[in-house]
Amino acid sequence: MGTFLIDGHVIPFKPGDNILRAALEANIQIPHFCYHAALGSLGACRLCAVEINSKDSGKAPRVAMACLEPSEDGLEVSVSAIAAQQIRQHVIEFLMINHPHDCPICDEGGECHLQDMTVACGPPYRRYRGRKRTFLNQDLGPLIHHEMNRCITCYRCTRFYQDYALGNDLGAMRLRNEVYFGRFQDGPLENPFAGNLVEVCPTGVFTDAIFRQRFARVWDLKTAPSICPHCSVGCNTLPGARDGTLRRVRNRAHPELNRWFICDRGRYGHQYSEHSTRPLAPRVSGADTSYHDALTAAALQIKLAQNRIGGFGSAREDMEGNAMLQALLNKLGGVFTAFCDPELETATIAAVSALQNIGNAPSLADIEQIDAALIIGDLTAHAPMIDLALRQAYRKGAKLALLHSSPTLLAQFATTAISVSPREVYTRLSRLCELVNIESIANDMTEAPMADIVASLMGARNSLLIGAIETLTAYEVFALEKLATTLGSDTRLAYAFPGANAYGAALLSSAGNASTMLEAVENGKIRILIVAGNDPLGDSRFGSRWRAACHNLSALIVLDCISTVTAKAADILFPVAAWTERSGTFINYEGRSQGFSSVFHRSEYLPSVAEVITNLGQYLGRSLPDAESVLCDIFSDFQTPKPGTTGSLITVPALTMPITASIHSIQKSCNSTWQAALASWYGDEALASFASGLMALTPETVALIEPTSAVNAGLENGSQVKLHGPAGSMVLPVRLNQGVATGTIAIARNVLVQLGVGHGDSLELEQVL
Amino acid sequence: MNNSLKELQENLLHLPPTDPKRRAAAIPAMQALQAELGCLDDAAIERIAQITGLSTTEAEELATFYSLIYRRPVGRHIVRICDSVCCSMRGADQLLIAAEKYIRTPLGTVTPNGALTVLPGICLGLCDKAPAALVDGEALGPLNNVSLEALLQRILQEN
Repeated sequence: MGTFLIDGHVIPFKPGDNILRAALEANIQIPHFCYHAALGSLGACRLCAVEINSKDSGKAPRVAMACLEPSEDGLEVSVSAIAAQQIRQHVIEFLMINHPHDCPICDEGGECHLQDMTVACGPPYRRYRGRKRTFLNQDLGPLIHHEMNRCITCYRCTRFYQDYALGNDLGAMRLRNEVYFGRFQDGPLENPFAGNLVEVCPTGVFTDAIFRQRFARVWDLKTAPSICPHCSVGCNTLPGARDGTLRRVRNRAHPELNRWFICDRGRYGHQYSEHSTRPLAPRVSGADTSYHDALTAAALQIKLAQNRIGGFGSAREDMEGNAMLQALLNKLGGVFTAFCDPELETATIAAVSALQNIGNAPSLADIEQIDAALIIGDLTAHAPMIDLALRQAYRKGAKLALLHSSPTLLAQFATTAISVSPREVYTRLSRLCELVNIESIANDMTEAPMADIVASLMGARNSLLIGAIETLTAYEVFALEKLATTLGSDTRLAYAFPGANAYGAALLSSAGNASTMLEAVENGKIRILIVAGNDPLGDSRFGSRWRAACHNLSALIVLDCISTVTAKAADILFPVAAWTERSGTFINYEGRSQGFSSVFHRSEYLPSVAEVITNLGQYLGRSLPDAESVLCDIFSDFQTPKPGTTGSLITVPALTMPITASIHSIQKSCNSTWQAALASWYGDEALASFASGLMALTPETVALIEPTSAVNAGLENGSQVKLHGPAGSMVLPVRLNQGVATGTIAIARNVLVQLGVGHGDSLELEQVL
Repeated sequence: MNNSLKELQENLLHLPPTDPKRRAAAIPAMQALQAELGCLDDAAIERIAQITGLSTTEAEELATFYSLIYRRPVGRHIVRICDSVCCSMRGADQLLIAAEKYIRTPLGTVTPNGALTVLPGICLGLCDKAPAALVDGEALGPLNNVSLEALLQRILQEN
C-alpha cells in the first residue's frame, strides 16, 4: 500500500495496481477503452495516456499508458498535461476516422463509452473526408445484434469471450485496419455468457437483439435495483422498462456475487413477462372477471369446502408470498409446502440443513479463489454464474472434478470427469468419503479417477464441493455434506438450489408435506388447493398423479405470472405481478437475503402474491398481519433487506431434517435397464421457458445415450427409439454422446414431463425399426 | 512446408486431445493443406480444426492473420507489394494502383488466365530497398513503375 499523486490528488494503491486501476478505484476518471476491471490491461487503445514526472529532476516528463504503468510510491502523474491531452485527442480522432456517424440510430446511444470519450477528449470536428472502412455483419443468433463498422478494436469482446468466459466461437480475424470480431460462419454464439458482450463492448458493435425489437432510448427507461429470478445465485440486475412493458435486463454489480457479468438466462429470460400467453386478467371457470369477483368466488369455495385446504408456495416465489400463504393456511388449518415433488422437497430442506451444519456456502467471489472443486451435476443449467465463477478458478489453475449423468459444459475444463448414472452418485460419494480416510489407496486402475479426485481435494488449500439439488436426492445431499466434513475445514460446501428463493422456501416448508398434500388430495381430504407460482400439474415425476388427483378438488386456485399447466387448469386464476413489477425478498444459495424493488407498473392491475393472499384473508374474514410481521414471527430478527444493498445472511433456527424411507421408493420398485437423466441447458428454467428469444436456442429434442450402451442395445446415431414412462411415451432420435453415463438416457425436461419420469427414474426403451 | 498433412496427422495421432502440440501444429497443417489445395476454403478450415482440436473460429483467426495463408484462390504467381510505412512513403501506394491498372484485375483476385495475383503486403523488412515486393517468395526492390510493369508483363506472358 502506498500513494501517488494525480494532478495533486493523493491516490492510494495496492501492490500490483497499475495507475489506471488505482485512479478508477479512487474515483478519478482517466479516459480509457480497452481496460476493464475484470479483463485487465491490454494497451490496445492508447487512450489512457498520462504524463509522468521523472523522479530525476533533470529528465523531462514522459507520456505513458496509465493501464500499463505500475503504481509507485511518490509518482507524480498528470491527466491534464497538454502532452497527454493531445495524445488522447489524436487517438479519438484516429478512431473516429472509421467509426460511423450513426449515433442517432445506434442502440448504444446514451450509454456509449465511445460517445462519452469523444465528448470528453476528442476534437469537435472530423477532418477526415475519405471513405470509411466497412464490413459485412454476421448473424450472431437471436440474442445479439452485430454491427462491425462501429468497432474500435479494443479487443474487449474476445478478451471477455475467450479469456474470461472460455468460449471458442468468437474471435479476432484478419489484420491491419481490417480486424474483424466475429465467428467463423454465421450462427448463434454458443457461450452461455455471450450476452455480456453487449455491456463489455464500449460502443455499439454488439447490442441486445431482444431490446432492439422493442427499443427505447436508455434515458427513457425506468429502472430500479432488482434480483434475478431465474436461479438461486441471486445476481443483482437492473431491469429497464418503458410504457408499462419490460424492455431489457442489465447487470448491476454486487461486490461478492455478480460483479460485472450475468448469464444469458438472467439477461434474456425476462421475456416471460411480455409473453402473449401471460395471464393478465383474473379468471373464474374459464371466464375473465374482476379481482373482486375472483376473490369472492375463491372465498366462497374455501368456505364451502369447510377449510379442507392445502397450498403450494414456490421456490421461485418471494419470501413475502410464501410466508403469507403459509400464514393463511395456518389460520385455516391447511397444509403448506413450497415443493410439489416430495424428493425435491426433502433434498432442498436437507441441503439447507447441511449448510446450517457446515457453514454458509461461499460467494461467487470466494468460489473464484478456490483451487479444487468437486461438482455433482450440471451447474451451467442450474446456477450458470457459479459455472462462470468456476471457470475463473480454472483459469487460475484450480482442478475441477465432475460427477455427472448427462452432458455438462464444465466437463471440458475438468481434470477428472466421471459420468455416473443418477442412482450411482450416492455410492460414488460414499466411496470418495472412504478413500479420504484410507491412508494409501490400492493401486487399482478402475479407481484411479476417484483417487485423483480425492488427491486433488485433499491437496487443496481451499476446496469446494457443490451439487445441483434438482438432480440429487436427500441421501446424496447428505453424502456430499459428509464428504465435506471428512475433508475438514478447508472445504466449503454449496448447493445450486432449484429456484431463486428455494433456500427461503425450504425454511418455510417441512419435509414430508408434499407427499401428505398429494395423498390428501387423492383421497379427498383436501378439497381446495391454492397454488402460488408453482406447477404441480406440470411436474415431471408427479404431474400425472396431480392431474388425476385434481378431479377430486372442488376448486384449484392458482396465482401466477406465467401460463403453466397448472394455471391453465385453474378454476380460479389470479394473475400476479412479475418480479420486476413488485418488490420482495429472495434468499439465495448462500442464505443471503436480498430485496428487489418494483421497477414499473403495467396498465393492468397486477397485485403480488402476498397482496392477493391478504385480500383473500379479508374476504374470508380472517385478517392477516403484513408480510414483514409474518416473517418476523418466523425468523426472530428478520429485516426486509433494502433493494440496492448487498443483502445480509439470514439467521434462522436449525432445521430438523427427518429422512423418510419413502424417498427412494419409486426408484427401488423398478428393475428396468435404463435410467432417465435430466439433460439440461442454460435456458432451462420455468420462467425463462417463456422467453422466446432464448428458447430459439433450445437444443434439439433427442435421446442422448452413451456410445457403448447404445451399441449393446443395438442402437446407433440417428436410430429412432420409443421411450415409455408411467405417463406416456415418445419417439425420439438417438444421439450418441460421451457425456452421458452408462445405461442412462439423458432427455430434456419436457420429455421427462411427457413420460412422467424424474431424474434417476426407470425408463423403458423400445427400438423403432 | 516439408511436412505432408498425412505425416502431421500421423504424428498427432498418439497425442491426447488436449495436448498443446495439437494447437501448435495448426500453421504447419495449414501450410501443408495449402500446398495441396492452393488456398484454404471453409472445408479446409474445418479440417484444420478437426486435426488440431482448435475451434473453427480459432482456426479462422490464425488463417486470416497470417498473410501467407490464403483464404481465397490465388494465381500461380503471387506478387506482394509492401505498403507499410517506408514503402508507402516511397510510392508503394502508386505502385499498387499501377499494378491493378496494368493487369486489369482487382488486387487480391486472380487474372483470367490464372497466372497472377497481386496483393498489398505487410512490412517485408526490406525498408532499405523500398518500395519492395515479394515475388513468389523472392525479395525485389526498389521498384518503380517501369520495373514493376516489366515484371508483371514477364509473369503474364510466361503462360
